[in-house]
Amino acid sequence: MEFSELIRTGRAQAKLLRGPEVPPLHGTLCVTGHHLLLSPGPQATSDLWLLLLRSVDSIEKRVSGDSGTITLRCKDLRVLQLDIEGVEATLDIARSIEALSSLESVITSFPFFYRPKGLRLGDAWHFHPPERYYKRVDRETNAWRLSEVNEDFSLCPSYPRAVIVPRAVDDDALERCARFRQGGRFPVLSYHHAPSGTVLLRSSQPLTGPQKRRCAEDEELLRAVLAGARPGARGFILDTRSAQAAKQARMTGGGTEARAAYPGWKRLHRPLERGWPLQESFVRLVEACGYLEQSMDCWRSRLEACHWLGHVKEALSTACLAAQAMEREGACVLVHGAEGTDSTLLVTSLAQLILDPSSRTMAGFQELVEREWIQAGHPFQLRCAHSAFSHARPKHEAPTFLLFLDCVWQLGRQFPLLLEFGEGLLLALFEHAYASPFGTFLCSSEKERCLCEVRTRTHSLWSGLNQPKEQRKLRNPLYVPSPLAIWPSVEPQSLRLWQGLFLRWTRPNLQR
Amino acid sequence: MEFAELIKTPRVDNVVLHRPFYPAVEGTLCLTGHHLILSSRQDNTEELWLLHSNIDAIDKRFVGPLGTIIIKCKDFRIIQLDIPGMEECLNIASSIEALSTLDSITLMYPFFYRPMFEVVEDGWHSFLPEQEFELYSSATSEWRLSYVNKEFAVCPSYPPIVIVPKSIDDEALRKVAAFRHGGRFPVLSYYHKKNGMVIMRSGQPLTGTNGRRCKEDEKLINATLRAGKRGYIIDTRSLNVAQQARAKGGGFEQEAHYPQWRRLHKSIERYHILQESLIKLVEACNDQTHNMDRWLGRLEASNWLTHIKEILTTACLAAQCIDREGASILIHGTEGTDSTLQVTSLAQIILEPRSRTIRGFEALIEREWLQAGHPFQQRCAQSAYYNSKQKWESPVFLLFLDCVWQILRQFPCSFEFNENFLIMLFEHAYASQFGTFLGNNESERCKLKLQQKTMSLWSWVNRPGELSKFTNPLFEANNLVIWPSVAPQSLQLWEGIFLRWNRSSKYLDEAYEEMVNIIEYNKELQAKVNVLRRQLAELETEDGMQESP
Repeated sequence: MEFSELIRTGRAQAKLLRGPEVPPLHGTLCVTGHHLLLSPGPQATSDLWLLLLRSVDSIEKRVSGDSGTITLRCKDLRVLQLDIEGVEATLDIARSIEALSSLESVITSFPFFYRPKGLRLGDAWHFHPPERYYKRVDRETNAWRLSEVNEDFSLCPSYPRAVIVPRAVDDDALERCARFRQGGRFPVLSYHHAPSGTVLLRSSQPLTGPQKRRCAEDEELLRAVLAGARPGARGFILDTRSAQAAKQARMTGGGTEARAAYPGWKRLHRPLERGWPLQESFVRLVEACGYLEQSMDCWRSRLEACHWLGHVKEALSTACLAAQAMEREGACVLVHGAEGTDSTLLVTSLAQLILDPSSRTMAGFQELVEREWIQAGHPFQLRCAHSAFSHARPKHEAPTFLLFLDCVWQLGRQFPLLLEFGEGLLLALFEHAYASPFGTFLCSSEKERCLCEVRTRTHSLWSGLNQPKEQRKLRNPLYVPSPLAIWPSVEPQSLRLWQGLFLRWTRPNLQR
Repeated sequence: MEFAELIKTPRVDNVVLHRPFYPAVEGTLCLTGHHLILSSRQDNTEELWLLHSNIDAIDKRFVGPLGTIIIKCKDFRIIQLDIPGMEECLNIASSIEALSTLDSITLMYPFFYRPMFEVVEDGWHSFLPEQEFELYSSATSEWRLSYVNKEFAVCPSYPPIVIVPKSIDDEALRKVAAFRHGGRFPVLSYYHKKNGMVIMRSGQPLTGTNGRRCKEDEKLINATLRAGKRGYIIDTRSLNVAQQARAKGGGFEQEAHYPQWRRLHKSIERYHILQESLIKLVEACNDQTHNMDRWLGRLEASNWLTHIKEILTTACLAAQCIDREGASILIHGTEGTDSTLQVTSLAQIILEPRSRTIRGFEALIEREWLQAGHPFQQRCAQSAYYNSKQKWESPVFLLFLDCVWQILRQFPCSFEFNENFLIMLFEHAYASQFGTFLGNNESERCKLKLQQKTMSLWSWVNRPGELSKFTNPLFEANNLVIWPSVAPQSLQLWEGIFLRWNRSSKYLDEAYEEMVNIIEYNKELQAKVNVLRRQLAELETEDGMQESP
């Protein structure tokens, strides 16, 4: 398919309004395969204005007389208004934007065409987190090994090629474990906490089903984990569903670890919101932030009713619980919910930020996102297909990654010295997860990325962000490294709305 | 009366003190006339010195022979004392109760406090009305200082000296005073040099049910308008409330009698409604239930942020009239001693860059709160933990400080002072060793001879050592009018006051220090660059001279 088929009109005269604080921009509007351009004309002082079509979340058109207005609501929560001369032109442009912004094909997306100056293809793809992370684990303990059992993604389509597993468990056993876990996500190492000699694991739910099926290899794997940790270590299985939801999952073939089958392990349930309710919470929060003329009561009750801060609190408390079990009780922790690709990753990645000083550095945090989200198989392509403004019927959208970024922001607010990166990096990751010229957040798993040749045909966001001129905006000038764990306060009074993100485009420009 | 009569047990040993962010300390508890002191008699352990006047309420509990006293302070801190022995505990509790609720002002600590620092500048003379007037008199000759209230006979809550229109004589002022609530005739609050517009404030006119008029009042108010100009009267009550006030002898200006003026009604809450709001807010902040919905619900139910929004909105409206519409304004509510002062002082923060400096802000508090007759003694007698039967208490001044903090947060570079300065003012308004916030007005302060018998807060604050704690490192003089956003999303809970004792500020303090260091270092480097530039320029001119002999 050619983009030109979808572009109904070449150009039109238009005025762009970008909010009350910014003067409007006049010029010629153009739709290309991936962008909306506004060129202010040869005499103008301002530069060309450019919007990635992929970042349009919803579009609304209105015509009156011989002109029209298009309102674009973007995935980064910005709202833009275009006043266009000509009714026909307005409708054509609107239809083109609609068609082009909702293309689902990965390999025709912009990252496959983006060739920025100063970057070479394949530059930052060199970092292969599982291997790289294993080198660190191997220096700290010899209880673990790097397994390439998933080399061809046949065991678990959402895992990377290499995973870190107990040395005592061989690849055959892993294969059987994979069959016992949803989506083949057998327990793998997420983080080794050297100070207490304990580990954080993640997996998906066991497929016990109504008959309470067991799997000897799975039980052996978890036994081996405890044997490899410090002597006498106990284990906690942190299920991110309520006890009832976990029980109900048995009816559909899932379930939870039976206590008798896993001696030494204790199961805890900490329900975290996921899927549609989480997306709805996000939608309602953004809606509430958009009302500029509202009474204080309306705003506070809307903020309360959307429950977003409640989700932030639950996520942070669960991560604190996992971290506490490891650091203070010397226990190993396995985290899973149902699929193990959403709330599970939220908990494991936050627990690492709490415990591991190196994940609080600029490079370490990028590695954490790469290892615990991208390679761990968080389905970005599905979850971030639409943001808070979309009218499209929701399928798999959920702002799990945004919730993670919000929790990190809360950590940064409570410990302003201890993160090497600032709010700028979190905002950038939010934007790029939803629409990006880089290939990093494309696809939903390593397998898909391999099939689409993302690594060889697109640029990595990390090389984009790690350019010196970008780094200036992303670093926290106050950073002072600390070797200690950081324990955030999760009292509701301590958590705040992330204004920098949710009110970024609506609040008046505050002095910084 | 001797304090000794009130102190039943002056000291108890083996008392354990629990307070936020510190490990428990065991030591000896001593009661003096003005302080509760706990000393561990060990080096390195910080002692507790608490002013009795800072105690808002106490609870006592007994478990066997061990008694516990929970002390709730006016600055919202809660501390706990474990006292062995039931009798000692009861004695201590009743002594604290008696000492923290002394009736007589002259028994308060400021009358006994002898400063350990050298007074460089006597704060009692730092902000004289004459000096303040000089700032205006260079720009306008339409106003004069009037001494009509020298004996406090015309208006007991006004200072001896006020600024009034030049064309109105003292005789007319007396008549106007008789027509205004509490004798508070319209006086100048602020002169906007940029366009000559003014803010005036007063008490409500006493029109009563039969629409009484006062020719002098009409003349005075009109005298402040230049030919062809219009003005706005901002009433801080809703129209309904203002109409009801007529039944009690009060009322509002009829537009027919003040043809050049338009009346606007804005409703700002006052008295016990604000006090209840504060009580609910502090209760919510101390809620330990760890439930997000409950916290957000209680925060909303307290309505505190709603009050902030109302006050800021009205202040913005006043500033807008002055700066954008080029119109003068008169502000009053009922007495003109509470919401009126919130609005006039916040409008000045918005309009006048000087009031955003430390010195200027002190002058503003002196002029618009202390001299203007805000009844601090009544309003700040009790704080959030005391459910008073009387209706005098009201956190009017705290709301003002909170509004300033909101603006400071939105314009972090435009203020010479930082959050600590505002917190310090809050603390001293409620309990202090200084005499500044004693009394309800200048008349009472004169009778108490505060200037002779107590030390001014400003004498202490304005020493370089203290000032450095209150200076905002980000300050860059901004000569513009600053327009704060009053959208509910832009207003936040002031954690520095309300969550101050609920969590450690260690990390935030460290970050603040680090920021100060970075700014200092940056300044040093800038200075170095300037020196090098100058050297380079000198060398270049020398070169030039050598080359062309």
